[in-house]
Amino acid sequence: MNYLDMTIVEMHHALIEGKTTPIELVREAIKRAKEDTNNAFELILEEQAIKEAETIGEPQPHNLLWGIPFVAKDNFSTKGYPTTASSNILNGFIPLYDATVIAKLRELKAIMIAKATLDELAMGGSGTTGHRGPTFNPYDRSHQRMIGGSSAGSAASVSAGIVPFALGSDTGDSVRKPASYAGLVGFKPTWGRISRYGLFPFAPSLDHVGVLARSVADATIVATAISGYDPNDATSSANPVPDDLHLVTSDVSGMRIAVIKAIVNSPHDKVIKQKFELLTSELKQRGAQVDLVSMRRDLLDAIYPIYITLSCAEATSNNANLDGIKFGPATWGATYAAAMMAARTKGFSELIKRRFIIGSYALMRENQAALFLRAQKGRGMIVAELKRILGHFDLILVPAAPSIAPRFIDKTDKLSEEYLIADNHLVLGNFSGFPSMTVPLGLKEGMPFGVNVMAKAFDERAVLKLALAVEEVTGLKSLMAKGGDTK
Amino acid sequence: MEKISIAVLKKAAHTLLLDMSEEEYALLQSEFDILLNQMDLIGNIKGIDDSAPMTFPFDVTTESMREDAPQDPTPVAEVLKNTGHVYADQVKLPKVVG
Repeated sequence: MNYLDMTIVEMHHALIEGKTTPIELVREAIKRAKEDTNNAFELILEEQAIKEAETIGEPQPHNLLWGIPFVAKDNFSTKGYPTTASSNILNGFIPLYDATVIAKLRELKAIMIAKATLDELAMGGSGTTGHRGPTFNPYDRSHQRMIGGSSAGSAASVSAGIVPFALGSDTGDSVRKPASYAGLVGFKPTWGRISRYGLFPFAPSLDHVGVLARSVADATIVATAISGYDPNDATSSANPVPDDLHLVTSDVSGMRIAVIKAIVNSPHDKVIKQKFELLTSELKQRGAQVDLVSMRRDLLDAIYPIYITLSCAEATSNNANLDGIKFGPATWGATYAAAMMAARTKGFSELIKRRFIIGSYALMRENQAALFLRAQKGRGMIVAELKRILGHFDLILVPAAPSIAPRFIDKTDKLSEEYLIADNHLVLGNFSGFPSMTVPLGLKEGMPFGVNVMAKAFDERAVLKLALAVEEVTGLKSLMAKGGDTK
Repeated sequence: MEKISIAVLKKAAHTLLLDMSEEEYALLQSEFDILLNQMDLIGNIKGIDDSAPMTFPFDVTTESMREDAPQDPTPVAEVLKNTGHVYADQVKLPKVVG
């Protein structure tokens, strides 16, 4: 086995024991990135990564991320390196500073080897709308299946074994849904745990930084390393980051787990349902209390419209600075407004413009009370309902997605009335800010699917405990798709 | 609520200083039929108008004051690298005031 195929902890031991070196790992990662056929990358940072690996200094036995290669979604600002969020309006933009999470990983001497592609401005869930075209699921050699989005390239690069972890962002489910389609662990800790300074905002009341990795332990190592208060982010939490999460075990005895009935009963693939039932009975055998619970149907039905209203409305203002003048492709006009109109009309794709217009419509004076304000109220009611459930339980456990990764021809980013609940419930974690993790649950026709775990705010410990138990029950750890085959 | 028409969609687009083709507006109009049906689901929530709006997941408050920390300003040349229009070491804008 190549050292790059190992978990972060295994790779770390190999580095410390001198069995491999950062430069070997980085060269191998870059070789694999160059051979990538899934359209995972915006930019491969070959020269920079090799230089960092060559000058990294002495091994650091207590720093698990020393010399570990990684990939960052291209909506994290990287000082001196182009950052486009896969939008033509940002072509050529070179940030003047690093996002906090990038700076933290640099300080820990993890080595960024590439910027990963994404749905344009992170506003999509298919991995098809970035300016470099669709990203393919590494498990499907025929390139007919998507990997999901918006953290498409991040998921593809970890799933394909190019790097052991990648940074993503998650506004609706953009880390946790691709994780399900790619056989990965996708983790977004509590809102405020990880600084968003330097992350291009989509909808800040919902945006989270997340991690994609091949095991619960790896995702935890990275998430813990990049968590913590950041004075540069006004929404950053000063709540102390636990330093003993590595001691969390898979013992779920006595744990109270809620399964939301309406979510598991909404349309799901039969195999997913069966695997989910097997998992819950196994958890019961391990001493966990697993109960089906009700959640108001009118609230569940409204999840997606609330999400689309709030996220599109927030996105309109957060992207108002993309004017093509201060940065991005140079345009000009007789007036500032004319120049901006030209840049934005040309620079945004059709999907993005549609989303902005939805947001603009929701914010019109005559619509605001009926749409935007009501969406905010609906969000409050949904979160109150989640808190009611979590008043009686430690965790909520549900399938992460209704199916394996869809084929491109079966799914578009246009609005759909199908799978209103099954395909959109992960946004509950964004509405509430609660910590949420997707873990592999099984495979069907060689394609992976996952299960999702969510706990109360700042109770990452509970999430990890159950996630470790799921990993143990399924045995699906360190999954990797290489040339379409599962390792 | 404003009834959906191509004119309303154009108004919403132009407010954001962007435009689309006629075909794209037509597609969006048809999409709005689905979207508005879905948005009705928000209005169908029992008790929606009696509840409080939620903006952020929870309050994040910082009670400590930090000391002022002097920092070097970003070099002008670095800032200007990102713009295509420069005049006298500044970003040149089209006419703003008529």
